[in-house]
Amino acid sequence: MAVNTQPIVRLNHVCKSYGDHQILKDINLELEAGKFYTLLGPSGCGKTTILRTIAGFTAVTSGEVEFDGKVINGLPANQRQVNTVFQDYALFPHMNVAENVAFGLKLHKVSKDEIDQRVQDALAMVQLADFGDREISEISGGQQQRVAIARALVMRPKVLLLDEPLSALDAKLRKDMQYELRDLQQRLGITFLFVTHDQEEALAMSDEIFVMNDGAILQGGSPVDIYDEPINHFVANFIGESNIIPGKMLKDFEVEFVGKAFECADGGMRPNEAVEVVLRPEDLDIVAANQGKLVVTVDSQLFRGNYFEIVAYDSDHNEWLVHSTNPADEGEPIGLTFDPQDIHVMRLNESEAAFDARLEQYEDD
Amino acid sequence: MQRKQRLSRNTAYFIPYMLWILLFVIAPVLLLIYQSFFNIDGQFTFANYQTYFSSNTYLMMTLNSVWYAFLITLATLLISYPTAYVLNETKYPQLWLLLIIMPTWINLLLKAYAFIGIFSQSGIANQFLSFIGIGPQQLLFTNFSFIFVAAYIQIPFMVLPIYNSISELNPSYVNASRDLGATNWQTFSRVIFPLTLPGVKAGIQAVFIPSLSLFMLTRLIGGNKVITLGTAIEEHFLTTMNWGMGSTIGVVLIIAMVIIMMLTSGGKRRTRKGMTK
Amino acid sequence: MSLRNFKWRNLYLWLVFIVLYAPIIFLIVYSFSKGDTMNNFHGFTWSHYQDLFADSRLIAIFLDTLLVALLSSILATVIGTLGALGINNTTKAITKNTLLSLNNILMVSPDVIIGASFLIFFTALKIPLGFGSVLLSHIAFSIPIVVLMVLPKIQEMSSSLLDAAADLGANNWQLLSQVIVPYIMPGIFSGFFMALTYSLDDFAVTFFVTGNGFTTLSVEIYSRARQGINLEINALSGLMFLMALILVVGYYFINQYSRKHRRTATRGRRK
Repeated sequence: MAVNTQPIVRLNHVCKSYGDHQILKDINLELEAGKFYTLLGPSGCGKTTILRTIAGFTAVTSGEVEFDGKVINGLPANQRQVNTVFQDYALFPHMNVAENVAFGLKLHKVSKDEIDQRVQDALAMVQLADFGDREISEISGGQQQRVAIARALVMRPKVLLLDEPLSALDAKLRKDMQYELRDLQQRLGITFLFVTHDQEEALAMSDEIFVMNDGAILQGGSPVDIYDEPINHFVANFIGESNIIPGKMLKDFEVEFVGKAFECADGGMRPNEAVEVVLRPEDLDIVAANQGKLVVTVDSQLFRGNYFEIVAYDSDHNEWLVHSTNPADEGEPIGLTFDPQDIHVMRLNESEAAFDARLEQYEDD
Repeated sequence: MQRKQRLSRNTAYFIPYMLWILLFVIAPVLLLIYQSFFNIDGQFTFANYQTYFSSNTYLMMTLNSVWYAFLITLATLLISYPTAYVLNETKYPQLWLLLIIMPTWINLLLKAYAFIGIFSQSGIANQFLSFIGIGPQQLLFTNFSFIFVAAYIQIPFMVLPIYNSISELNPSYVNASRDLGATNWQTFSRVIFPLTLPGVKAGIQAVFIPSLSLFMLTRLIGGNKVITLGTAIEEHFLTTMNWGMGSTIGVVLIIAMVIIMMLTSGGKRRTRKGMTK
Repeated sequence: MSLRNFKWRNLYLWLVFIVLYAPIIFLIVYSFSKGDTMNNFHGFTWSHYQDLFADSRLIAIFLDTLLVALLSSILATVIGTLGALGINNTTKAITKNTLLSLNNILMVSPDVIIGASFLIFFTALKIPLGFGSVLLSHIAFSIPIVVLMVLPKIQEMSSSLLDAAADLGANNWQLLSQVIVPYIMPGIFSGFFMALTYSLDDFAVTFFVTGNGFTTLSVEIYSRARQGINLEINALSGLMFLMALILVVGYYFINQYSRKHRRTATRGRRK
């Protein structure tokens, strides 16, 4: 992997609006060469628009799109060194598999021998070496997906943009493709920018995730960071499952919720500041009612295969989701225990910069 | 977005088409309207319209033309709807459809000419009538023959849109209707027919307007007994050379056309919106 | 569905089918009949066809008709395809709808109106009536059908297809020539074919704008038919039926061939 301190793609204060409707609100992001990035957010959050501004299909309203240190705002899509894998694959129906893959190379006047060689290599890379003569209509959705990837990769782009490419595949195939894409990215060492609304996909594949909502990036970071330390209610809810309980920060490393004080790992807030507390369902352990840090009453449970999903309520009527390997008795009280570091405290309306600075100060244990 | 801006910057390729719209769509209509305000001596006048709307001959002719167009459309519809319906249930509907449409590739004039032979005094139709004991009748140059031949010519144009809307009909609507206890007739009248109405309207549009203006059939088959708006226009333009009056009738025909389009397309838009996913 | 029910349905279809074809077959059968009426078949003869081929005036008219049809449909296809591309590129819904409405005016207008208004138009511009005015008219009334055949193919093309082509480095011209036109080719082809049949079929418009010196088959048949039965016209209809058949079959095979040919060509290249 090339060591390169300069980001390959950088967006500076990028805004995009259609009339009065703001699609992107002051987007800043940097992509380093050779990493797998994911833009994650619900549909309509603007993630695909970011992709399109980088690809050159959509002009920004203000701000700068930089590629390799140069501003490329005015550069048309056909002159950018990025390639895209489209959500609907966008394979040309009037060409066969090999012609689709060769299309870009022909436009760039690559010699015929080299085209043949590179097309073969690209098809082999996506395990379609013998499919060159097939018509697009003759191959399956999963194979079309691979052709679309090969068609983009054969151009040897510095950045590959992937617009929800797995969304049309069935669950099993999607899992396989996750491994394959990750593997492909690491072998080729080029930058992938992947757009999805599927948090599992994002967590499984990415080096770094940008969580978006409503035209803004809420939080960027490694999958583990984002999962363990979501910046706000939205991120905590969107990534994985969470119990989000209103609470009060008594002092550094001590937070109060459901009327009790608990030791925690967070700090840097005002005394008695109102906060939200996140506890992941899998971090909660069930003990006898009299031994728990918290007592909740089981309301209902569902068997999920590898665990039981238990819904319970505490004395303040907060809902608690608990994942447990053992079933509980509905209507009975149970005790919940958790470690101080399982508690994650979120300030209300904290910016990403302030969040990062506070974290650095208080989480070096 | 950017692509659109980029492409539309270069609009030279669009010029021939725009020229066509200007010269062959807009200009002729305007000229026709303009011409309708001139009498046979080239003087500006409203007299053409006064004559048209005050003369019994013209008004009766218009009513007659509309009446015959209505009869032709009705006859065509009554034959075509069952045809399209049955067509949709055959094993090879596309092949049948092609066979139904094929005759439209035969020149209209030849088909009209065939009927001159079929309906003539001792033609095959009269031979048949004699054979079953009715005896020969005057067939050619009657209103019946005019309607028969016109309907014959128009059938494919009615079958096609109706077939399209029937074949697009999602079969689960029919199943749902049966499931909810509707009889075959109820299913047809409450579900199938309303949902295929856009096709019927398109068919009516395709048949009624030309039926108002057929002029060669009135001459070759109708023996000038039926004078349609089309016949009157042709006569004023090419025989009496009274272009002003011909244009006036033309304007009336255009207005009739617009009214029919509004009647048949307004409903179409509503149903189409209701039918799209 | 009971068997009996099914038979009734098919019987109806067959009946419609027979009624549609009977007059055409009737015409052709009598083109081989001795005598000169369409009343009784008097025995087989080629003589009407011989008359037809000896009729140099009719042959000339036939060739003129073919020339007008080919020229007008080629030009209408080019202009109509460019028009459909332009309509598709308009960004405002109002402009697009206006253009489409204008496009459809000639589609729904009765032939007599088109003929009469074109006649006024040519007279006003002092364009002499004859081959030129007929050709212009045929181009004019064929353009909208080409647009209607091509536009759905353009709209069916997903915008990501164009994005993909640009993404892979295509400029505007390459976008048009290597992606858009090949993609919409079936639409262009149907448009051309429809234009051809429109032109060959037209009587009313041509009748208005043709003047004295020039005539097409339709107009010629009309003036002869008004004088009564003439089995030479039957022979002509036999030929025209054959021509229509060749057109239809040709259309079908060219369609099949172009699809197959493309496949085998690419296969061959890669081997």
